[in-house]
Amino acid sequence: MATQAHSLSYTGCNFLRQRLVLSTLSGRPVKIRKIRARDDNPGLRDFEASFIRLLDKITNGSRIEINQTGTTLYYQPGLLYGGSVEHDCSVLRSIGYYLESLLCLAPFMKHPLRIVLRGVTNDQVDPSVDVLKATALPLLKQFGIDGESFELKIVRRGMPPGGGGEVFFSCPVRKVLKPIQLTDPGKIKRIRGMAYSVRVSPQMANRIVDSARSILNKFIPDIYIYTDHMKGVNSGKSPGFGLSLVAETTNGTFLSAELASNPQGQGAAVLPEDLGRNCAKLLLEEIYRGGCVDSTNQSLALLLMTLGQQDVSKVLLGPLSPYTIEFLRHLKSFFQIMFKIETKPCGEELKGGDKVLMTCVGIGFSNLSKTLK
Amino acid sequence: METKDQKKHRKKNSGPKAEKKKKRHLQDLQLGDEEDARKRNPKAFAVQSAVRMARSFHRTQDLKTKKHHIPVVDRTPLEPPPIVVVVMGPPKVGKSTLIQCLIRNFTRQKLTEIRGPVTIVSGKKRRLTIIECGCDINMMIDLAKVADLVLMLIDASFGFEMETFEFLNICQVHGFPKIMGVLTHLDSFKYNKQLKKTKKRLKHRFWTEVYPGAKLFYLSGMVHGEYQNQEIHNLGRFITVMKFRPLTWQTSHPYILADRMEDLTNPEDIRTNIKCDRKVSLYGYLRGAHLKNKSQIHIPGVGDFAVSDVSFLPDPCALPEQQKKRCLNEKEKLVYAPLSGVGGVLYDKDAVYVDLGGSHGFQESEEVRPTHELVQSLISTHSTIDAKMASSRVTLFSDSKPLGSEDIDNQGLWMPKEEKQMDLKTGRVRRKAIFGDEEDESGDSDDEDDEEMSEGDRLENSSSDDEEEEEDAEMTDKQYMSGKGIKRPKLEMEEDVEVDLPAFADSDDDLERSSVEEEAEEADDSSEEEDSTAEEGKNILESKAVRKGSKPELLQTNDLSNSLNLEKSLTMKKATLTTSDSGHCTAEEAFASEDESEENSSLSREKDSENEEVIRKKFPKPSQVVSGQKSGSENLVDETSDIEDLLKEEEDYKEENNYSTETSGALKWKEDLSRKAAEAFLRQQQATPNLRKLIYGTVTEDDEEEDGDTGEELGGLFRVSQPARECKHKADSLDCSRFHVEAPHDWDLEEVMNSIRDCFVTGKWEEDKDAAKILAEDEELYGDFEDLETGDVHKGKSDPDTQVEDVEEEVKEVDPSAEESAKKKHLDKKRKLKEMFDAEYDEGESTYFDDLKGEMQKQAQINRAEFEDQDDEARVQYEGFRPGMYVRIEIEDVPCEFVLNFDPHYPIILGGLGNSEGNVGYVQMRLKKHRWYKKILKSRDPIIFSVGWRRFQTIPLYYIEDHNGRQRLLKYTPQHMHCGATFWGPITPQGTGFLAIQSVSGVMPDFRIAATGVVLDLDKSIKIVKKLKLTGFPYKIFKNTSFIKGMFNSALEVAKFEGAVIRTVSGIRGQIKKALRAPEGAFRATFEDKLLMSDIVFMRTWYPVSIPAFYNPVTSLLKPVGEKDTWSGMRTTGQLRLVHGIKLKPNKDSLYKPIVRQKKHFNSLHIPKALQKALPFKSKPKTQAKAGKTPKDRLRPAVIREPHERKILALLDALSTVHSQKMKKAKEQRHLHNKEHFKVKQKEEEEKLKRQKDLRKKLFRIQGQKEKRNQKSSLKGPGEQSM
Repeated sequence: MATQAHSLSYTGCNFLRQRLVLSTLSGRPVKIRKIRARDDNPGLRDFEASFIRLLDKITNGSRIEINQTGTTLYYQPGLLYGGSVEHDCSVLRSIGYYLESLLCLAPFMKHPLRIVLRGVTNDQVDPSVDVLKATALPLLKQFGIDGESFELKIVRRGMPPGGGGEVFFSCPVRKVLKPIQLTDPGKIKRIRGMAYSVRVSPQMANRIVDSARSILNKFIPDIYIYTDHMKGVNSGKSPGFGLSLVAETTNGTFLSAELASNPQGQGAAVLPEDLGRNCAKLLLEEIYRGGCVDSTNQSLALLLMTLGQQDVSKVLLGPLSPYTIEFLRHLKSFFQIMFKIETKPCGEELKGGDKVLMTCVGIGFSNLSKTLK
Repeated sequence: METKDQKKHRKKNSGPKAEKKKKRHLQDLQLGDEEDARKRNPKAFAVQSAVRMARSFHRTQDLKTKKHHIPVVDRTPLEPPPIVVVVMGPPKVGKSTLIQCLIRNFTRQKLTEIRGPVTIVSGKKRRLTIIECGCDINMMIDLAKVADLVLMLIDASFGFEMETFEFLNICQVHGFPKIMGVLTHLDSFKYNKQLKKTKKRLKHRFWTEVYPGAKLFYLSGMVHGEYQNQEIHNLGRFITVMKFRPLTWQTSHPYILADRMEDLTNPEDIRTNIKCDRKVSLYGYLRGAHLKNKSQIHIPGVGDFAVSDVSFLPDPCALPEQQKKRCLNEKEKLVYAPLSGVGGVLYDKDAVYVDLGGSHGFQESEEVRPTHELVQSLISTHSTIDAKMASSRVTLFSDSKPLGSEDIDNQGLWMPKEEKQMDLKTGRVRRKAIFGDEEDESGDSDDEDDEEMSEGDRLENSSSDDEEEEEDAEMTDKQYMSGKGIKRPKLEMEEDVEVDLPAFADSDDDLERSSVEEEAEEADDSSEEEDSTAEEGKNILESKAVRKGSKPELLQTNDLSNSLNLEKSLTMKKATLTTSDSGHCTAEEAFASEDESEENSSLSREKDSENEEVIRKKFPKPSQVVSGQKSGSENLVDETSDIEDLLKEEEDYKEENNYSTETSGALKWKEDLSRKAAEAFLRQQQATPNLRKLIYGTVTEDDEEEDGDTGEELGGLFRVSQPARECKHKADSLDCSRFHVEAPHDWDLEEVMNSIRDCFVTGKWEEDKDAAKILAEDEELYGDFEDLETGDVHKGKSDPDTQVEDVEEEVKEVDPSAEESAKKKHLDKKRKLKEMFDAEYDEGESTYFDDLKGEMQKQAQINRAEFEDQDDEARVQYEGFRPGMYVRIEIEDVPCEFVLNFDPHYPIILGGLGNSEGNVGYVQMRLKKHRWYKKILKSRDPIIFSVGWRRFQTIPLYYIEDHNGRQRLLKYTPQHMHCGATFWGPITPQGTGFLAIQSVSGVMPDFRIAATGVVLDLDKSIKIVKKLKLTGFPYKIFKNTSFIKGMFNSALEVAKFEGAVIRTVSGIRGQIKKALRAPEGAFRATFEDKLLMSDIVFMRTWYPVSIPAFYNPVTSLLKPVGEKDTWSGMRTTGQLRLVHGIKLKPNKDSLYKPIVRQKKHFNSLHIPKALQKALPFKSKPKTQAKAGKTPKDRLRPAVIREPHERKILALLDALSTVHSQKMKKAKEQRHLHNKEHFKVKQKEEEEKLKRQKDLRKKLFRIQGQKEKRNQKSSLKGPGEQSM
């Protein structure tokens, strides 16, 4: 008579992380079919396999079945266990790919998560660890996930294709989350950034800084871009440089943009000046989109709102990214939760594009893994 | 004249007023209160000891904090569900009578037979659901979980019964509801004193169980088989004013106490297979938390189910609408109990009787409701009638498989028409759920009578049904004219939005449509007037557009199609029409556009020339163009067929589109503002549902269709086909959360830069946050002040504002708006002052607790306010069904026994399950055997747990945690201690209480609750271990090394245990070293001492125990009527052995035998010679000869007397005997003599004393008399002298 929660079924490899993360949190098994079924190289890729392995490491009792070709994946979630974990991420994707999901899961572990991730810290595809550190961590703090042990540290930097970076992430455990009311992003009071360079001339970082400043200075004087030149063993296995910028508002909202150089041997060489300028423009673009949450962290904010107590949470976002839209759909199918979506037109104020006000009532989620003593 | 009639005023001598006066009087006199005492005598109140003061302060603070409860967010809805009153008690105690009396008290109706819950309106703000609870433990457990208030009936003539205590214990475990005791049978006491004593005894016992001071109600006696009216009235008052504290489990889970059940299974299926799984609908008030559609529920006694559909119905037992008056009138005193036949329908085992106006309550609803309901529904609905009509259109197609969106499914089933069907075989009236179309065909006018029991919405529906139907037909005809026969691409559904979208969206859409059209037209008119003013702006616009005109033709064609699309129907499904939405496009759309645009460009090229102008106007901005391209391209396929029609309409809507689609854009924000406002309004109206549809509207389709039913028929007419290619593309694309900028702005331009100027602190601030503004306001407030030290008087600057005010004072009468603003300003000023004051004086008081409470309150307010203004249908989508709603829940695949053996006396509870609470895993808990349970519990004995909503049988293992955290298996639970327990069962959140019972069937003589406890942990891995001792024997012993055999079987096993600690029974410790080759499994070990061959060597190890994965829900509700309390699951080994007569064969070694002690024999102590020598003399063993042996030379010779000597000796003996006898006699005589002499002496002495006493007496008397005389004389003396 023990009826398992009926499993959900999806096709395609896109949004794999979302599905597995939500499955783990909701306890509903998920089946994903036709993963790159038409591709020349069908089935799960290395980085996805690595992600599944990571999921297996931090959970207890989860069942993962993959068929021979790797085109079908069945995942029955276990309980989130946490503890001290080490994981070697695939170098095809950056650590951000893994870290994004970990940020969703970490507050609901049985034991506080302390994880060392090795791989690529900054690449052009995924949000880098710098950006996540600067934007996602303050966001989690809004939900009451805070404490001494809440940290994200970049021990070594690694650029694609070689990787060799190392990141340490630890997160405390919470039983319930606080509802949030982030409706006013406030005004940007400072811009900070990190220009990093590994295995190239340290001058690169300075050149990036200058060019980025030249653009941003027109808006606000309080800009400080740190240069981070890592050497020796801390510099990973491949050369590269990049910039990540974060704008902080008076109300504690963080908006970010980043750009990294092309990986060694792929694409044309990028001038640091161009990179700096483009990154600054991307930041302006992000500011134009606006909202209380960075566009990369939209889904994280929405997830934590969903997993709150049965209270109303509100958040003002910029335009929803495709990833977020799909995430909202997944939230609906996993948690039966629908967001009230109101468009806030920009009006006469010079505050960038239209915003979206997302409102929801939490599902009253409580951390089932945490032990009661 | 009148004054004479008036009474003279009398001063108050008592009461609060008089007291106050007295106090004031005392205060005036400087005495009285403590405060004054403090003032008068400050020394007495001075600090004597700082330590003591600190302590007392500490203590008061402690006491204060102890009183606090953890503040929780108040989530009670505005219209709360009825309070569940469980009337509980042993049989024959008067439960039914009490319920009947209560119902009669509240509703003035008498129910003949009460079955199942009865809902009544008891007051302006309170409703009650009363349900009776028998003494079946299943029912007791279930009802304790949902009860808000328990009326615990106690037979005073008998005293407490086991059921009462069991129920109390159940309550304690599952969250303690309010409990009120009611003593009945008080009239059976003959003597008043006995009655009083009994009352007191029972009351105190009750208090120890509940809490000291718990209310115990006395029902003194019966009158005509009913309790006394006054007492019942009082009891009713108590119930209606009672306050409740939220219980954790109840507030965090939705639940329903079903008061109506219907079988919706297809009769044909039942006919073919009577045992087929049923589809049932259950009705009831939703309680606790919000219920989401499609969520998991558990029905205690039946099992777990997924809700297939939820819909809310109008309240059958609504609270009165206006709250002004003091009491309810008769019409509002409703009662609703469908299972007992009130409210129209009576459920029997195999028939449903429809009551046609017999009972009062039913008549009431018949008479009052129609008008009432209609008006009410008109007031309560937020959408207009035509919007409703539009929305009802959906039902036309919903008889066939709905479109795949679950929401549309909802809509179809929200209010299905119900039709009574008479089953000819059984004569049973069935209520069949019928949807729009069927009803059309059948035209069930004759069934309308039956429908009365189905609530008022139906009345309302039917009244407008016909018109709606007609409307629908028209509308749908129009809509589907174009699309007939064509296979439609999935994404292109602008026209049939109504069909494939959630219901709420439809109504909104239609609303929007109407409003948009109107608005647009208005805007149109106004804008034409304003054209001249907006000329400049337009010019800019156009110039922009021209610049963009150089874009490839492809764009334009897409734009064209987009515009056509727009004009055709203003309902905007995709949010792609406005600039703001450019970012909202999904990747899927992007792909769509890429794929299809090429094919379609040629088609639309012809139209280009005609529409170019329009297009240019419409899409002045790049982002707009992009968005247009996307949505447009999708639509092109369909567009070709009906482009002709559209072209005609196009002209009409040209202008309007200009305004509705065009966005203000960041560049021209200073253009005419009124137009912009209108635009913004429009856009907001459109964008919201658009975005919502974009996100939620299509995805459900995706999901379901992906599951395989792509060829599903839609509305019986069309087939939904989906562009598979796009889907694949999307499904396998890169998984990345970054949101790439598709059309970057040119940040070198001043205008673009300006568009985000205000995002920075350097930009312009809002009115209420601008520092300069606030400063100015403050100055205005606190401008005037006098510096007391210097004597300077500072005057606030008379602002231009104030000056204006002064000037305006004369004008005020003329200008009401100015007055208004002044008033507002004044109020603002006041508020600010108040804030200042509060900040100054109240801030210090606020504690952490207060802050927390304030936070919670704020959250509660936000919760209330957020969805307040939305209608229920939309609200339900966002927050789920909120508690207090009357809902209908459909459940599929219910076992047929649930319907066949339905007994309304047993409560049906639908308990909502949280996330992953439906899963099964290992659950760890802290457990204690109940102290009243006679036996101890054995590991691996199946036992029934009640955790969360569930009752289930499982096999627990008991364990205890050692100091090092090891969880060691216990064979039995400890007697008076907590222990751990682990079982395989449903996952329940930590902190949930549970109870265990050995069996739910029959009546056990003793207390039935075996154990209680709390869930601690949920884990997927098992950690319980039991001790395992491996034994071996030495077969070769060296000094401290021995070879041990018999402990392991192979060298591999030994290798695993290398270094492990071993021990002999005598306590010699050692270590395993290495495996030996010779006998398999033998090893070398070292010890701290040499072993003996007789020693046994053992090693202590821990062996993990597996927990049997046995989980068996108690399905008591599936048992036949009358046997519901006979459920029995797996039996324990003990029970099985008893039944089958199998005796346990004990291990002989384990048997106890009488202990026979053998006599202990000690050997003598032997000291070696060498040692003896070395010993000091004292310790040396002394060689002493035996005392008995005297040497012969020492022995004295025996004396042998002569006969003569013997004679002499005999004589001497005799003489001495005589002498001694003589002496003895003499001594005795002397003794006697002495005694007598002593007696005589004593007598003399006594006489002497007596004599002396008498003498003395005489003497004293004389002396006394003399004194008296003297005194008298002395008293008299002076008197005489004075005389």
